[in-house]
Amino acid sequence: MFHLSQMDQIFLKSLADVVRTSRTTSQYDKLTFTTQTIADIKNEIQSRQESVRYQALLKLFFLAMEGNNIRWAEFQIINLMGSGDFQLKLGAQLAAHLVIDTQSQGLIMVTNVFQKEFKNGHVECSATLSCLGTIANKDLSDSLLPHVLKLTTNTKPLIRKKAIAVLSKIFTINPLNIPGNLEMVIQQLQKETNISVLACGISLFCSVMKVAPKLYPLFLSIVYDQISKQKSNWLLIKLVRISNKLISLEPRFQGKLIEHYTRLLNQTNSKSLQYELIYSIMKYFKNHSQLYESAGDILKQFLNHQDPNLRCLGLECLTHISSSAGLMEFQEQILESFKKSDYFSKLQILQLFKDFTNQQNFQTVIEFFIKYSDLESNHKIIESLIFIIMKDKFINVDDPEKLLLMYIPVIAQKIDTIDNAIRFKELLFELLTRVPGLKVYSDQLCNQILQTYAIQSDSLQGPTLNIVQRHTQLKYSLNHREIIFKSLIMIVGESVKLLKLEALTNIIKFLEQLNILNCYESSLSDIDSLLFKIYIQIIKTDPSNDLIPQIEQLIKNIYIKLHNISIVKISFFYESLILNKTKDQLDQLYNLYAEDLPPINLEAQKLIKPPEGLDITQSFQIDIEEIEKIKNSNNDQLEQKPIIQQLQQIESNQTEQEDQNTLIQKQEENEEELKPLNSKIDPIPKKVFTINRDEELPPGINQNDINKSKEEE
Amino acid sequence: MIRFILLQNRQGKTRLSKWYVYYDDAEKVKLQNEVHRLIVCRDTKHTNFLEFRNYKIIYKRYAGLFFALCVDVSDNELTMLELIHLYVEVLDKYFGNVCELDIVFNFNKAYSIFDEMIVGGEIIETSKQVIINAVKNIELLD
Repeated sequence: MFHLSQMDQIFLKSLADVVRTSRTTSQYDKLTFTTQTIADIKNEIQSRQESVRYQALLKLFFLAMEGNNIRWAEFQIINLMGSGDFQLKLGAQLAAHLVIDTQSQGLIMVTNVFQKEFKNGHVECSATLSCLGTIANKDLSDSLLPHVLKLTTNTKPLIRKKAIAVLSKIFTINPLNIPGNLEMVIQQLQKETNISVLACGISLFCSVMKVAPKLYPLFLSIVYDQISKQKSNWLLIKLVRISNKLISLEPRFQGKLIEHYTRLLNQTNSKSLQYELIYSIMKYFKNHSQLYESAGDILKQFLNHQDPNLRCLGLECLTHISSSAGLMEFQEQILESFKKSDYFSKLQILQLFKDFTNQQNFQTVIEFFIKYSDLESNHKIIESLIFIIMKDKFINVDDPEKLLLMYIPVIAQKIDTIDNAIRFKELLFELLTRVPGLKVYSDQLCNQILQTYAIQSDSLQGPTLNIVQRHTQLKYSLNHREIIFKSLIMIVGESVKLLKLEALTNIIKFLEQLNILNCYESSLSDIDSLLFKIYIQIIKTDPSNDLIPQIEQLIKNIYIKLHNISIVKISFFYESLILNKTKDQLDQLYNLYAEDLPPINLEAQKLIKPPEGLDITQSFQIDIEEIEKIKNSNNDQLEQKPIIQQLQQIESNQTEQEDQNTLIQKQEENEEELKPLNSKIDPIPKKVFTINRDEELPPGINQNDINKSKEEE
Repeated sequence: MIRFILLQNRQGKTRLSKWYVYYDDAEKVKLQNEVHRLIVCRDTKHTNFLEFRNYKIIYKRYAGLFFALCVDVSDNELTMLELIHLYVEVLDKYFGNVCELDIVFNFNKAYSIFDEMIVGGEIIETSKQVIINAVKNIELLD
């Protein structure tokens, strides 16, 4: 320690000097300035003069706030906390949280310092308690607990409330301190009249319930007592919050609170207390209709409020409504609120509708969100819409035809991200697989969506999904439009047998547009397989159709493009088909695809040239008996297949009839409810589409679909 | 429970920071930058609260200063907004027409006021008069 002369003290920099210099120093000189200042502080903090030490402490505090490390000063600061000068002590206690943490070695020294301070006047004691509340760790809490408990009985409310606040931290750090001590505190609080002290006590109960919830019976009487007589909004908010926790542990407590909640709800104008009450009522008091209705009225005010904070909080309360019928009551206000809300509130509303949309409000919800999607939230809205449609295997969808032809094209137009394009693809595949008969509309669907794709030639704009094809190692990039394009092409390909000639003609005309082949190069192989299927279908029905040369030309163009841009080799058969066009080959190929391929088909072997040197009559397997077994089991299966198919058809007809009957019954029941919500739906549906929700279906054409379409034809 | 309080200006400079939960120095710097980045670009028509990691940030802007509180998810947002407003009112009454420079040059007084309102992350006092009396008692002993 050294003593500075009066002359030296003149040249000492005060806190204000350091602050001014720091603000005016450039970034390049900052390091020099900081190093110099720290060196000065290290000297000054050891001075005998308290004013000098105080200024050094404040300058150190300032440097710490600027982002400099001052942990080297831990010992000095702890030393100053035990100083005789109150100014120094206070400064050190305020700065303590910057150097001392729960792992600090210096905390051992702090115990004695604090024990001494607790015996001083109320101002010093209060400052010490504040410091303890910030830096307490397990050892410090255990050693200072008896002193803090003693302070809870102090005559000054300032000391009592701080002591209780520190106690809640001590009990949280080490719950073993609770037994024996908590009962004493509760007894004191029962006689307490000061609102601040009571509020700190309620916070203490909340902290104890986090670590030891089974102690809740100790708090019931005091909480009930306070909630029935208190008028301070701040304390009431804390009481309502702890009541929520008590109700979840002791449901009978709920009955006691109805009267008080009703009174508070009717009397208070404080928005924060109203919010707390509504939150509690929505969550726990659903069975009490009068109280629930009053809360619902105030909730509607929140949802319609100009303040976005209150609207957001209103939506937060709605997440606790467990039924969609409950949400329907607030539907109008929520949808109005959506128009004015910011991005985060819109996400909240979308989440609500994800959970609570049902068949009754499905159409309203879909139409609303399609209309009010904006640039910022569009991708989230589309994601939510797809989720709502697909939820629980299309449980909300009662008219799949309308969904496919009216809503899905609009959703497809609005998709602008790859994730949503992939989700859209999954939606289409699921819908067309689960609803037998919808595939006949695949050409209409494609026309509606793909017409805009032909006009806009921006195939690779936006983020892309990079794919490497497994068998060819060909790399290509897809954006969201191409993903949808590919999926639609595949769907049309799968539905070719169900489509009429006119529809196929339109598809060929669409693909003939040069833009398509140029813009969607990554989908050429999909277009190629679609054309091939259409080619087979047309040749079978009308071999002299004018379309055939157009299709051949298209296939040739694609072949040239593929041959130029990649190492893909078209199969020998495919080449000979285009060049030779023999009817027999086509018939046999058609038969090949008409039924399931057996694992060993000797007829197919004839059409494919075996490589030179390979004897197909010789088995490549060691065990010839195994091959014979497979052959025989397949023959059995082939014989039994028609019988099994017949039985399956009979079963499916029966279940269809039953479904139709239940559907008609449901429609009659829901007609009146649907009227105000949806005047657009025809009262008498023209065609009933049933959604198969029983099991996971394999992708591709369902055998039943083909059989039915054959019967229809 | 309040986990930390930050007072930052529009440039991201932290004028006051009070931590009621332990974070190491690097984590504190990271949190300050993250919070500033989240709140500085928000419009007036946005809400004053947003989700942040597993907690909530409640903030309010007064002139060039952002007052931000990080609280548990179960805490009442409106109460915290009122707490921020109360703190600003207390500062205004104590300093008389408070500005950012008052906080820069008298940060120790600002921290003292914090300690009279919040202990261990819990609000202990909401009366403006009581808080100012407590701070003036401390000044008398200085």
